[in-house]
Amino acid sequence: MANASPPAVLIEGLTKIFRLPFRKEEVVAVDDLSLEVGAGEVYGLIGPNGSGKSTTMKVLLGLIAPSAGKASIFGLDSADTASRGSVGFLPENPYFYKYLTGSETLAFYGKLCGLSGKQIRRRSEELLELVDLTSARDRRLGGYSKGMLQRIGLAQALVGDPRLVVLDEPTAGVDPAGSRKIRDLVLELKRRGITVILSSHLLEQVQEVCDEVGIIFNGRLVREGKLDDLIAIEDQSEIVLQNASPQLLERIGALVDEEDGAQMLRCGNPRTTLERLFLKAISEGSSQEGEDH
Amino acid sequence: MNQEAQDTAISRRHKVFSALRIWAIARNTFTQLVRMKVFYFMLIFSALIIGANLLFLSFTFEQELKILKDVSFGAMSLFASIFAIVGTALLIPKDIEDRTLYTILTKPVPRIEYLLGKLMGILLLLAVSILLMSLLFFTVLYIRQHGILTEKIASFPRQVSDAQIALFREDIFSRGLQPELLLGVLAVFLKAAVAAAVALFVSTFASSTLFTIIVSLVVYFIGHAQSLALDYYFAEGEMPSAAQRFFAGLIGVVFPNFQLFNVTDGLTAGEVVSASLMARLVGLTAFYLTIYSLVSWLIFAKKEL
Ligand SMILES: Nc1ncnc2c1ncn2[C@@H]1O[C@H](COP(=O)(O)OP(=O)(O)OP(=O)(O)O)[C@@H](O)[C@H]1O
Ligand SMILES: [Mg+2]
Repeated sequence: MANASPPAVLIEGLTKIFRLPFRKEEVVAVDDLSLEVGAGEVYGLIGPNGSGKSTTMKVLLGLIAPSAGKASIFGLDSADTASRGSVGFLPENPYFYKYLTGSETLAFYGKLCGLSGKQIRRRSEELLELVDLTSARDRRLGGYSKGMLQRIGLAQALVGDPRLVVLDEPTAGVDPAGSRKIRDLVLELKRRGITVILSSHLLEQVQEVCDEVGIIFNGRLVREGKLDDLIAIEDQSEIVLQNASPQLLERIGALVDEEDGAQMLRCGNPRTTLERLFLKAISEGSSQEGEDH
Repeated sequence: MNQEAQDTAISRRHKVFSALRIWAIARNTFTQLVRMKVFYFMLIFSALIIGANLLFLSFTFEQELKILKDVSFGAMSLFASIFAIVGTALLIPKDIEDRTLYTILTKPVPRIEYLLGKLMGILLLLAVSILLMSLLFFTVLYIRQHGILTEKIASFPRQVSDAQIALFREDIFSRGLQPELLLGVLAVFLKAAVAAAVALFVSTFASSTLFTIIVSLVVYFIGHAQSLALDYYFAEGEMPSAAQRFFAGLIGVVFPNFQLFNVTDGLTAGEVVSASLMARLVGLTAFYLTIYSLVSWLIFAKKEL
């Protein structure tokens, strides 16, 4: 290798223009976008619908050719099939061969990655376990629910033991418990040193897993950087107390007033997020069910 | 690195071309088509040839056997061609529509391998279904020729000598199950293979299954009619000009001459099909498969998905 180690993903000046057939109109889906993802990072691409997230990923994976600029994976140009040797991809709303069973699906993709029969058996065992589909392994995908399809899609993306995983809206259409699982999975990938790029418009999720984010709007990267830097409010601090008496709160208020320039902005009961509430209710429900049996 | 880790570690070296990947796609394609329950057509096919058997009892045995062979080969050729075109048309447009193609092409699979895998899968299906059909056809033919022999002996007014029986047998069986029929089966396969290659080519630029089927059928029919048209066109007996010959050649490449593959008509009439004709058909099929795969690849390699 020429350079010490090329970044996992390098996109330079990427522009993609779609020409609509039989019309003069053009759609600029991605506009002079550059970004770099270092090996082992988790990068979140966020932006509203139609901002160009999927298009960027498709160029990166060689599914479409850029109108200008270039993309590469671990130093290999995206146009080169070899660049896909170390990638796993989960497209948005994935849809697989519905006449194959879960384990047949993984075996098929495993073969495409050049795995031997023995490796395939071990790998699919492991992955079905990981995405919680062991019990559905011999059922055809035609009968899978949306969340199950998303999970088999994830397993499929991981079957070739990739160094880079590209996930296009991995939690779309998945319930909060499922999307939490996907979040945990991404964290697990990160722990193993696998680079992840994911797109989403659910900001909280991105916030939970990503080291770096890029905000894309109308095909342009409008913000980019370390997540902590982007969202920290430098001049504020937060204290959360349990069982604090009104007197204690009063004393704290008085203390704050004593200091010059300091100010208490809010004081009250913190609200849980709806997501947390939902998850709590579910876990209570399932533990009750456990007791009933 | 211990043994376990070595087994699990997946080789990163990318193979530029891998027959194993093509085979994986071919088998997957075959499974897809089989699980779409295409083999139910065998019921229709059986009904057809058994029906043909029952309908024409009032003919002489020569006619009866010829009709049985004609109907069977006709049905085989028709089914095989329909399979080739409809089956192929279902593959790529559906993969694109369902975006299954994304998951395949984002594995280290060159686009040519995807195309070849699909083509091979459909050829596999054609081979298996044609084999099944011929098995059924040959069984019916075998039963029928023995039936006819028994009837003939029974209806003979006098006691039949062994020599007489041998003569009957010779007479009947020579119009029945003969090894030459296998050449007809091969021709049916070759023709269907070319039709599949045409459909594959059309499906690389067509965006829907229906469009692929229609265009392929048009090519299929023009391919059948072209020899008639060219005969008519050059019938005057004068030497065609270079431009005319080029034009005729071009048509010959774009629209395969499917009529050439119809050797079964002569075969059932008892004509001899020469080995050189069969060799030519095999060569022609290889030529068309190669040309169509290459052109399909040229289009598909640049396709925006
Ligand atoms: N094949 C295509 N032909 C024409 N226009 C396209 C094509 N693919 C994408 N576009 C356009 O490019 C723009 C970006 O689309 P893209 O799918 O990348 O958005 P996205 O950020 O993934 O959106 P979403 O969040 O809805 O998935 C959109 O305006 C879309 O209409
Ligand atoms: Mg998208």
